[in-house]
Amino acid sequence: MAKKKVLAAEGADIQEAVVIEKPESRFKAMWDTLKKNKAALFGLFVIIILVIIAIIGPYITPYNPNKQIMNDAFQGPSANHWFGTDNLGRDIFSRIIVGTRVSLFVGVAAVAFSLLIGTVLGSIAGYFGGKIDAVIMRIMDIMLSIPSILLAITLMAALGKGIDKAIIAIGVVSIPEYARIIRSSILSTKENDYVAAAKVLGNSDGRIIFHHIIPNVVSSIVVRATLGISTAILDTAALGFLGLGVQPPTAEWGDMLGRVRSMVLVHPYMLIFPGLAITLAVLAFNLFGDGLRDALDPKSRS
Amino acid sequence: MKKKVFSALLASVMAVSCLAACGGNDVSTTGASSAKDTLVYAQGADPRGLDPQIVDDGESAKVTNQIYEGLLTYAEDSTEVKPCLAESWEISDDGLEYTFKLRQGVKFHDGTDFNAEAVKFNVERNTINKTEDMTYADFVWGYVSKSEVVDDYTIKITLKQPSTPFLANLAMVFGAPMVSPKAAKDGDLMNNPVGTGPYKFVEWKKDQDVKLVANDDYWDTENKAKIKNVVIRTIKDASTKIIDLQSGDVDIIDGIDTNQMENLKKDSNITVSQTPGMNINYMAYNIERLDKETRIALSQAINVDELVKTLYQGYAEKATTVLPTFVPGYSADVKQISYDKDAAKATLEKKGIKNLHVITYTNPRPYNTATGQTLTEAIQGYLSEVGVKCTIDSYDWTTYKDRTIAGDYDICFYGWSGDNGDPDNFMNLMSDTNAGMNVARFNLAKNKDDKAAYEEYSKMISDAAKEPSGDSRNKMYADMEQYVADRAIWLPISHQQDLTACKSNVKNFTYHCTATVKLYKVTKD
Repeated sequence: MAKKKVLAAEGADIQEAVVIEKPESRFKAMWDTLKKNKAALFGLFVIIILVIIAIIGPYITPYNPNKQIMNDAFQGPSANHWFGTDNLGRDIFSRIIVGTRVSLFVGVAAVAFSLLIGTVLGSIAGYFGGKIDAVIMRIMDIMLSIPSILLAITLMAALGKGIDKAIIAIGVVSIPEYARIIRSSILSTKENDYVAAAKVLGNSDGRIIFHHIIPNVVSSIVVRATLGISTAILDTAALGFLGLGVQPPTAEWGDMLGRVRSMVLVHPYMLIFPGLAITLAVLAFNLFGDGLRDALDPKSRS
Repeated sequence: MKKKVFSALLASVMAVSCLAACGGNDVSTTGASSAKDTLVYAQGADPRGLDPQIVDDGESAKVTNQIYEGLLTYAEDSTEVKPCLAESWEISDDGLEYTFKLRQGVKFHDGTDFNAEAVKFNVERNTINKTEDMTYADFVWGYVSKSEVVDDYTIKITLKQPSTPFLANLAMVFGAPMVSPKAAKDGDLMNNPVGTGPYKFVEWKKDQDVKLVANDDYWDTENKAKIKNVVIRTIKDASTKIIDLQSGDVDIIDGIDTNQMENLKKDSNITVSQTPGMNINYMAYNIERLDKETRIALSQAINVDELVKTLYQGYAEKATTVLPTFVPGYSADVKQISYDKDAAKATLEKKGIKNLHVITYTNPRPYNTATGQTLTEAIQGYLSEVGVKCTIDSYDWTTYKDRTIAGDYDICFYGWSGDNGDPDNFMNLMSDTNAGMNVARFNLAKNKDDKAAYEEYSKMISDAAKEPSGDSRNKMYADMEQYVADRAIWLPISHQQDLTACKSNVKNFTYHCTATVKLYKVTKD
């Protein structure tokens, strides 16, 4: 739950940053560009639907997603079970609906987690420079040199199963990316006159970083974070597929795929639907993220 | 742009190396099996070694069983013992002295004679000279006090105490087969096996295959090997194994995933066989932690009948007792705790059992092709219906074995494949003092009732092991089966069938219930 709060606070920060600190026209300009990008709008549409499903999903499922009705196992898609039933007689449609919440929550929370830590580390490194910069960024380099999914698997193996642990594992592996983006943005921003002015006025370092610099680098973070959610959803699915994600019987898309992978030739529907769900969610965040980048990039704006 | 070019390059390099790897494999495989004088048998793992007195895994046994023979052997379709290297035997009235008349004119593959001296050497290799790595030495030969050469072809083996399973043990694929004394002294049997069997060893390419050739000087002239060359290949991936069978690279495969059976059955070029397996797939309660009342309630919560039908889709039978139906001592009258959800719920509520720690294995096992993970989740579903929440920790098989020994669980899942067809081989699991065997931890029972029950059960086990085979011994085992059923030490779940498939031109292939094969009879049209 603590993670959720962090997420909300972070989201609010970004919102505030975009709406209040920026001139009104820039947000509108961005939206105008985004509106013209059909693919991005489709992505946004799917994301909104997914969020709605994630919120109300558990109350609208036709069956209890964890209820095993053994006699109904291995049924293909039908009017009763839209996506069929799995090998233990559980309704796949209901499990996918409930799984939406897990995937989105882990995706968003993991990004929020790495964004928060990455921002703090990147800011410190970029603003202060020197030895602090070298130490932090070399640690980030070391983390980047380990394949991210391998690092996540190792972390999961050490921490054990569970949604909260998956968030940490997936969050930790993408900290370096955010730290790098923030650091480079800060390096270029901190030379501006208004930063010097803020210093002269006697603002503390923390205030300068978070009130004067960060708001000006927010656009690059927003784009990266949106794309990061799709990566996080994929990583969640990968961990689930390897049987490291959630504690059974929790429904999770990757986990649903992994446990029936030996049946792909015999009961393909068991893999198709969770696979489609993952693809759709990842595609939506990618399309929207790409659109957002184009909209926020002055060069590509028409 | 540069990055894109680089990744495209990288991807193509990877693709090419993959193709190269597959291609290499294909070249080495096709040539060998298309010929009529070569039989290719595929199994899921590489043998651990080829010395039958050291190894303990089924993959090794599939190879050593073609090369070696014991004094006795099992009948083709049961665990009834038959003469092999021993032509006949006599047992003294006190059940302590076994005199074997040996077959004459048998030679080991290295040309040395098989005689009483060779048997004495083998017995002593497993007893006074045994080394730590001989897993089955004590199991087969543990009761032996001495062996004496009476004449060139007669040997007398004396036991410390009567043991009914002794004869059956002498036909086992582990511990019992006779190795060449000369090769054992100056060779490396793990890599260069020398026995008396219908096939001789040619070469072993680790993680690829073992090649064997027919033994032209085999003593049993009527049962000489029909096919000249045998290749026992290691194919780790279950689906690759099936694809190789369908494409004709391989003639016989074993250990088939039940999910693939329907597809294989439809293929007219393939014959599948399902034979009852001598195994038991069970759930064990940790007796250290759960009392009898709780265990019974938990058993009541699980509808085993429905579970087995769904999970194994007809490729396993529901276990009504610990013993498979064809093992002596099996009793059809054993009453297991019956499914009664409401009673279970009431008891568990009263006892305040809400959370249980369950451990399981992630992979399929010969007695549970559905994987421990799936079985455990199904059980979790049943227990959630009676208000018990299970936290599942699952491990790969090697780690899992350590976790069971550590003992930090309320429930664990396990199974057993029989070695010798003797009921003691199964029922002793609950009296064993080795934590890796007795996963119910019955021997470590804490409360008074369970402690007393363990004492009594152990006495029943040791009495029955001494009793000569027959109805009265079988009755003793039937009583034990009921004894453990009443106390809910295990929840017996199923007996898995052995699933094998071969190309339809392969004839006379049978899979023995001890999960081994003999390939000398197999022919190819």
